[in-house]
Amino acid sequence: MSGVELKDIRKSFGALEIIKGIDLDIKPGEFVVFVGPSGCGKSTLLRMIAGLEDVTSGLLTIGGKDVTYAEPSQRGIAMVFQSYALYPHMTVAENIGFGLSLAGRPKAEIAAKVREAAASLQLTHLLDRKPKALSGGQRQRVAIGRAIVRNPQVFLFDEPLSNLDASLRAQMRLEITDLHKRLGATMIYVTHDQVEAMTMADKIVVLNGGRIEQVGSPMDLYNKPATPFVAGFIGSPKMNIYSGAAAEGLGCKTYGIRPEDLTLSSESGRWSGKIRHVERLGADALVYFRVEGFGDMVARTIGSAAFQPGETVWATPQAGAEHRFDTPNPVAA
Amino acid sequence: MRRTRPVVVGGISLAVAAIIFIVPFFFIFLQAVKSRSEASRLNFDLPKEWLLWDNFLAVVEARNYQLLLAYFNSTLITVFSVTILVVLSAMVGYVMQRRRSRWNGVAQVAVLIGLMMPPAVVPTIGLLQSIGLFKTMTGMVLIQVAYNLSFSTLLYRSFIGTIPRDLDGAALIDGAKPWQIFFRVVMPLLKPVTVTNIVVQSIAIFNDFTNPLYYLPGKENVTVQLTLYNFQSMYTSQYNLLFMNILLVTIPPLIVFIFFNRQIVAGMTAGGVKG
Amino acid sequence: MVEAQRPKRKSPYPLWFFLPAAIIYGVLFLVPTATSFWYSLTRWDLMTAEYIGLENFRQFFSEPFLVQGLINTLIYAVMTSGLKTIFGLLLAVLLTSNLIARGFLRTVVFFPVLVSTIGIGITFTVMMHPTRGIINVALEAIGIDGPGWLTDPALALFSVALVDLWKGVGLATLIFIAGLAAISPDYYEASRIDGATRMQQFRRITLPLVWPATVTVITLSLIGGLRSFDLIWAMTKGGPGFSSDVVASVIYKQYQAGFYGLSTAGNVILFGLIAVIMVPLTVMFNRREVEQ
Repeated sequence: MSGVELKDIRKSFGALEIIKGIDLDIKPGEFVVFVGPSGCGKSTLLRMIAGLEDVTSGLLTIGGKDVTYAEPSQRGIAMVFQSYALYPHMTVAENIGFGLSLAGRPKAEIAAKVREAAASLQLTHLLDRKPKALSGGQRQRVAIGRAIVRNPQVFLFDEPLSNLDASLRAQMRLEITDLHKRLGATMIYVTHDQVEAMTMADKIVVLNGGRIEQVGSPMDLYNKPATPFVAGFIGSPKMNIYSGAAAEGLGCKTYGIRPEDLTLSSESGRWSGKIRHVERLGADALVYFRVEGFGDMVARTIGSAAFQPGETVWATPQAGAEHRFDTPNPVAA
Repeated sequence: MRRTRPVVVGGISLAVAAIIFIVPFFFIFLQAVKSRSEASRLNFDLPKEWLLWDNFLAVVEARNYQLLLAYFNSTLITVFSVTILVVLSAMVGYVMQRRRSRWNGVAQVAVLIGLMMPPAVVPTIGLLQSIGLFKTMTGMVLIQVAYNLSFSTLLYRSFIGTIPRDLDGAALIDGAKPWQIFFRVVMPLLKPVTVTNIVVQSIAIFNDFTNPLYYLPGKENVTVQLTLYNFQSMYTSQYNLLFMNILLVTIPPLIVFIFFNRQIVAGMTAGGVKG
Repeated sequence: MVEAQRPKRKSPYPLWFFLPAAIIYGVLFLVPTATSFWYSLTRWDLMTAEYIGLENFRQFFSEPFLVQGLINTLIYAVMTSGLKTIFGLLLAVLLTSNLIARGFLRTVVFFPVLVSTIGIGITFTVMMHPTRGIINVALEAIGIDGPGWLTDPALALFSVALVDLWKGVGLATLIFIAGLAAISPDYYEASRIDGATRMQQFRRITLPLVWPATVTVITLSLIGGLRSFDLIWAMTKGGPGFSSDVVASVIYKQYQAGFYGLSTAGNVILFGLIAVIMVPLTVMFNRREVEQ
């Protein structure tokens, strides 16, 4: 078990800088999720930690050892790829044991380790199959098995669940969380899905445009987003965010209020507007309305609420739930 | 009415096409099984006697079993040059596809020149003489490799583009050395295009006439195509044996074609599409 | 913080993978090509080369039969390329339509591509015999006096070009079939709803969309035509006289005669010819593709 430390890590392709100085301290045994929109540099950063992309400048240590320029196989990491990257011409057993066989380990030792890893992932009956003959979830587990058998200090996951359907994704989320608890290893997990980030992470790193926006526990980020970007990225449905004159009227550059932090009433409140649309999700209902001179607003209320499109509705923010930022909203800008 | 006319037109053009493309082969076969005097009439009459075996023996025995030697030589050249070609062009195509370097532009131009330009024959002969490879099988093999590298590289490069790079990354993390990534992970996945390469290049090299004519003269080095060419002047009065020889030369590609139709088609059309 | 030194990590794609191929290709193809420019300016017997300036080229362009070879090369290349393109496309359209025995016919049309050129050449030489050849015998049967396909100097080159078409059209057909298969049937259905006739569909949809395949066929067959040697050599050896000589056969004849410098000059002329034709053509084709 060892931590990972990034000091002013940068990467550029020619004049184009895509990772713009990342400082990050990942503690031993932590489950860290890199999250951000596509193109924010999260996968590149992960691949730099893996050694698959060169670091342009900065310092990267794993377990206290400088590995900035070390070979990928010398870093004590294992990686699960988005595409799984299983060797199509090898059986499951050969896939899992490939690294050991390259290292010239004795056959018996390889077989034993492969069997052990396979057993822990319920893959034993599939050991002689080729990847082509496996389902998505099984391939995913083989990829994890290949990582486990290396006995790494740090596991790297690159959007590992994005090729699975929704129900399988929920199941694999649990399995990976279990794996983390069982092995206690450090894990770094990249995703664009904020639900995965919220449910799995000890610590979330929100990346945007090659920079860290905020680092914190899931509930920290939810309750105290440091920037309008984080505020808009974490939480579903998205926080209502206003800038310009509307925000200045409330004494800030950017103002945000979560749909679930609005209290609706058909009689009175701070803002009023005509309901355009009501989405009924069962337990909850989302009420969309437009506040004249302010903007579009969404509120979450109970599923049985009687609001109908065309009616006028009043909304009031709950005490202490308002977010005020001194930076302009990057989306609106 | 409007439906039957295309059918009739189509049917007729098909029949014509079929006749045009089949008749010459039928002609070859027919002359090859006739007696000497019947074959000299060069017509489509069926033979009175089917002399398939006799003519076969006569051709094989001619000039002290020269044809057998020719088959041996041609096979040897084909096997060695195709083996070297496959390995070397796969390596080049792999690095060209995977790595950006200033050498890529050079390699690309070299491939293009190789596809387009004819070799400078006499200077090549001069060069082969000076390094002692003129009129040798080794020289011939290396020439075939040099001349066919471009096409094979083109085939490999475009196919390697379809192999996910994540596999290289996974192997790298698994601790594979560069040559292990290539030979243990990538090369096995190139099997379809390797088969295509082997089949297409084997046929091309086996059928090659011009290069052995220039670089491999001499009786002890005859190749199949050269033998056939020489038989042409020798057998002006023995058309049955000449056509038996043609028949024998036609059979190897036919067999390959029957078994590897799909790969040949893939290779020919892929090679056609500009890389 | 500044690191003292940034060790360059080795790429997993080593450049030495180029090396073995580069050596063979460089020594046996590029070096002779480069030196040919020098030898073409010499009188050469493989041992000693005496510099004679542009004498070889002067001779090449002043001997009528050598000039004839140059013109024949152009005629042959343009003719075979044009015919292969037209017939290849027609056959491809025919062989992608709904026909019985389609697969068999594709096979039959393609097979000659794989057969020994020498074998084909000899077979057609025999079939084109002016009196006994089956082509003229067949023509006679329907009352036509067949020409001396390979013995008439005005006809020999064209006869060989026809055999080249017969042998090579299968490859053009194959490339066109692949090109046609890449056109989505949606276009045809959409245009049918727009009221297009079969002919309009061919001209307005098939032709423009099959253009990449057309470029490939024209390029490949032009290069092949300009370099063509073995079929001509097997059928006419450039004769009768020099009527079917092309640059490649001139190169061989001058080599046989021991005029190595002149032969190499022919080679350089062939490089020039191919470059002058193919480079602008490729640029033009690429531009058109970009515009689309």
